[in-house]
Amino acid sequence: MGFLSKLLSLFGGGSKQVKILVVGLDNSGKSTIIHKLKPNAEKKTSVPTVGFNMEAFEKGSLRFNVFDMSGANKYRSLWEKYYKDAEAVVFVVDTSDKFRMCVVKDELERMLSHAELEKVPILFFANKKDLMNAMSPVECAKYLELETIKDHAWQIVHSNGLTGEGLSTGIDWLAQSLSKKK
Amino acid sequence: MASNAQDNHAPLRAQDGKKDEDDEEDFEYSPFHGIEKGAVLQEARIFHAAQTDSRKCQQVLTRLLYLLTQGESFTKNEATEVFFSCTKLFQNGDANLRRLVYLIIKELPPGSDEVIIVTASLMKDMTSNNELYKGGSIRVLCRILDSSLLQQVERYFKQAIVDKAPVVASAALVSGLHMLRENPDIVKRWSSEVQDAVQSRNPMVQFHSVALLYQLKSGDRLAISKLVSSLTRGNVRSPLAQMMIVRCVARVIADSQAYADQERPFYDFLESCLRHKGEMVIFEAAKAIVELNGVTEAELAPAITILQLFLSSSKPVLRFAAVRILNKVAIDHPMAVSNCNIDMETLISDQNRSIATLAITTLLKTGNESSIDRLMKQMSSFMTEIGDEFKIVVVDAVHKLCIKFPTKFRSMMSFLSSVLREEGGFEYKKSIINAILGIVRTVAESKETALTHLCEFIEDCEFTYLSTQILHLLGEEGPKTSHPAKYIRYVYNRIILENATVRAAAVAALANFGMRVPSLAPRVRVLLRRTLRDNDDEVRDRATMYLKLLGDDATGEQQEPTPRPKVLRGQNVSLAGLERCLREYLDTPMTEAFDMAGVPEKELVPVEASKPGAPGASGSGDLSGDLSLKSDFEEALQQIPEFADLGPLFKSCDAVELVEKETEYTVSCVKHIFASHVVLQFDMTNTIEEQVLEDVSVDVDLAEAEAYEEVLTIPATRLPYGVVAQTYVLLAYEQGTMPFGRMVSTLKFVVKEIDPSTGDEEEDGFEDEYPLEDVYCSPGDYLQRTKISNFRNAWDAQDPDTEVVDEYGIGQRDSLQDAVEAVVETLGLAACEGTEAVPPNARSHVCLLHGRTTAGGSALARVNFGMDRNYEVAIKLTVRGESQDVSESLHAIVAEG
Repeated sequence: MGFLSKLLSLFGGGSKQVKILVVGLDNSGKSTIIHKLKPNAEKKTSVPTVGFNMEAFEKGSLRFNVFDMSGANKYRSLWEKYYKDAEAVVFVVDTSDKFRMCVVKDELERMLSHAELEKVPILFFANKKDLMNAMSPVECAKYLELETIKDHAWQIVHSNGLTGEGLSTGIDWLAQSLSKKK
Repeated sequence: MASNAQDNHAPLRAQDGKKDEDDEEDFEYSPFHGIEKGAVLQEARIFHAAQTDSRKCQQVLTRLLYLLTQGESFTKNEATEVFFSCTKLFQNGDANLRRLVYLIIKELPPGSDEVIIVTASLMKDMTSNNELYKGGSIRVLCRILDSSLLQQVERYFKQAIVDKAPVVASAALVSGLHMLRENPDIVKRWSSEVQDAVQSRNPMVQFHSVALLYQLKSGDRLAISKLVSSLTRGNVRSPLAQMMIVRCVARVIADSQAYADQERPFYDFLESCLRHKGEMVIFEAAKAIVELNGVTEAELAPAITILQLFLSSSKPVLRFAAVRILNKVAIDHPMAVSNCNIDMETLISDQNRSIATLAITTLLKTGNESSIDRLMKQMSSFMTEIGDEFKIVVVDAVHKLCIKFPTKFRSMMSFLSSVLREEGGFEYKKSIINAILGIVRTVAESKETALTHLCEFIEDCEFTYLSTQILHLLGEEGPKTSHPAKYIRYVYNRIILENATVRAAAVAALANFGMRVPSLAPRVRVLLRRTLRDNDDEVRDRATMYLKLLGDDATGEQQEPTPRPKVLRGQNVSLAGLERCLREYLDTPMTEAFDMAGVPEKELVPVEASKPGAPGASGSGDLSGDLSLKSDFEEALQQIPEFADLGPLFKSCDAVELVEKETEYTVSCVKHIFASHVVLQFDMTNTIEEQVLEDVSVDVDLAEAEAYEEVLTIPATRLPYGVVAQTYVLLAYEQGTMPFGRMVSTLKFVVKEIDPSTGDEEEDGFEDEYPLEDVYCSPGDYLQRTKISNFRNAWDAQDPDTEVVDEYGIGQRDSLQDAVEAVVETLGLAACEGTEAVPPNARSHVCLLHGRTTAGGSALARVNFGMDRNYEVAIKLTVRGESQDVSESLHAIVAEG
């Protein structure tokens, strides 16, 4: 076993593993985005995640191990259990849901103030850009007061989880800041 | 499986090996040696690493599991911590690691709100293509899913049941068995898939599917017997499944009515199973046959023959199983088993002592008179080799045998006395003594031999309890023998050599000799006089008393012994009464001698008479606990002049607490029922140190109990801290009726504060009230639980016009027995003719109840119980009583409750 894995790492498998936490309110499109990011993904409709889902995909020399957390209200308190060794956070925001934007803000503040979250890069997906009443990333950033975030490198990207639009831009940024950090 | 387990241990072994290589070769050691919780929890941190090392993680998980199985407890925090770090291991795809993760999620129970976090991951595994993932995740999911989530994944479960991989199918079936308890409705929808799984070629899948199928139908007798008949015809190859079917068949037979003239259903099947290839099936079938209700000798014969073959098997397990069953059968069908006696006798020398013990006791049960002597001889040598618990079994068997063959008591008695002299624990010795006493009771001529053996035993007995018991027996039985004098030496030796308890018992026994055998009296007197200088009070007291009784005034001068004194009336005296008489006597100038004749006798319960006169065995102290309680109440009430003319006390109900625990004042209420009055007795305790209550009474509001009329209230004048005081309320009701109702009651009193520094109470108090819980009177209070032997006659004797019938649903119950107990308790009647016991697995039951009313008449009730599949119990209550009112009151109890 040990020998085998060494062998594997010699032959191209030598991608670096990073742990990423994907959070956001329920129905913001986390699982859809993750699903889209996986290679050879067949089309499927997502059902609400219960607890969390474990996914993996590769981007460049990095192998992303993604913890796709459930966004449902009663499971949000469980996010913090996974802050400890997350190397990056992806925060998905449903831009069409202005009504719950304040909840998003609350959750974001709670996350940022948590002691166990290290100074990791945070990528915001301003998701569901295809919808009519979607807010622009700038509006989003303003509303969520992202400019006040000082401890983390962050980026906000307009995206559409269904078509995959904007996803690679965001992940590229993430890969970049991760490799910079190391 | 086994090879993987090996893999996990191997690295551990290597690590430890480095530490102490020298010791390693000397002895086999556990790879789990010296695992500590704190250290393992530290190690568990590697689960957080970005690059998980599957090998290392497996080791740590194995250690965690080891700790869990050793019963190590994890605090809530530790468990949560470990659990969440384990969930991160889902990122690693190693199948072995994943399996350990499944195990730890199952074994380490975090809170239900936390465990839900793995649901999505497990569901994903369940739908993956990896069979190992599928099987494992299914087994975990069944632990954590609730019914709403289960419905979401139900179709995956159905698919899994018919999965080609046996691992997956088995896991799904077993999970079904587990979930049947919580979500029976969902699992019941899977029965067609389960039916398919029965056809599986894999033995394990077949076994699990049969088990699940049986459980699915277990509520429905008809479906079960259909299922069993289809299964017995089908070709079920797996021995495990076949064995399961045999068990089901046994249940079906047990549940079905047996008609004497009709052939038992499925018996042929059981018999055919006796010729099965698998030993497991054969054994199960034999066991099923043997345990049949009212099995006949003809039906038994083939099973016994098979078991006899097992007796000479080379496998100890088979020998043990067979001999154990034969041992059981031997009680009811000794003749059927006697064929195996020859095989059984060779087993006495079996290496395995458990087998040997069972063989011997079976032989004792089946043996005939001629073989007993030989067996006894074999046993004496064998007894030294087995443990105490087996010895007890053997001794019991000898006891039973002696009852069967009384003429053989001599050899058995000598066997018992020889084992009595050997080393042994208290329980063992006690069982021997009990066996000897039992033999004495059944075989009169064995008495003298037994007494001699017992005398020898107490010479060297380390158990005080047994010594006193035997001394008592000697005192009772010794004087009746032909040579009472020879026992005196043994008894007196105890006085010289033993501890105080035994000495006191010996003094009593000795005195008995003196009193029963006049010729011995002078000698006993001499011996007793010597004990007057004993250094224990009790012994001296007894000696003095008995000397007096024997007519010795301690000066050595002979007197005419007083006739059999009354003190020896013994236990028939009511202790409470005796105490009261003595107190009264102490108040007098004590010029006359105390007269025992004035002491009331304890009421003798008829049960006592029918008890076998076990000498010195169970004391009669606990004979009538509640009876004496009642008379205590009666005495207390009679001393209150206001209650003197109420007539005899009919019944005192159990005390009911009227306030929550740990409040300022505790109050409990006891209802005393008289022919036309009810006395409410309130026992109150004041738990506040800084207060004294005065003029305490309970105000009862009769607005909702109109049938009563308040006659008078007797307040308690003073209630200081920590003292129990009583206040009474006397209510009148119309004689012969059974009024009921709710009474709102309030405690009223005058509070006086106590100055904590001086302890003086203040002059002026203020009035205050304290609300109490309501007092309920139910018709059941007017009924006395009395059993009658012939319900039928009593029932027919009542006027049929008083009969009132109605039906009630009493909700869900765990079992019918539960329901019966609850109803009997509520009605306040006694169950007659043993109808309070419900046979196991019964779906319906009839209970016969009887009680006595205040007017002296009878109230009879016949309660039909029925239980449906959802454990909902319905009852039909038929009541006859002395009047229509009584019958309707009884219905009111059920309707209210």
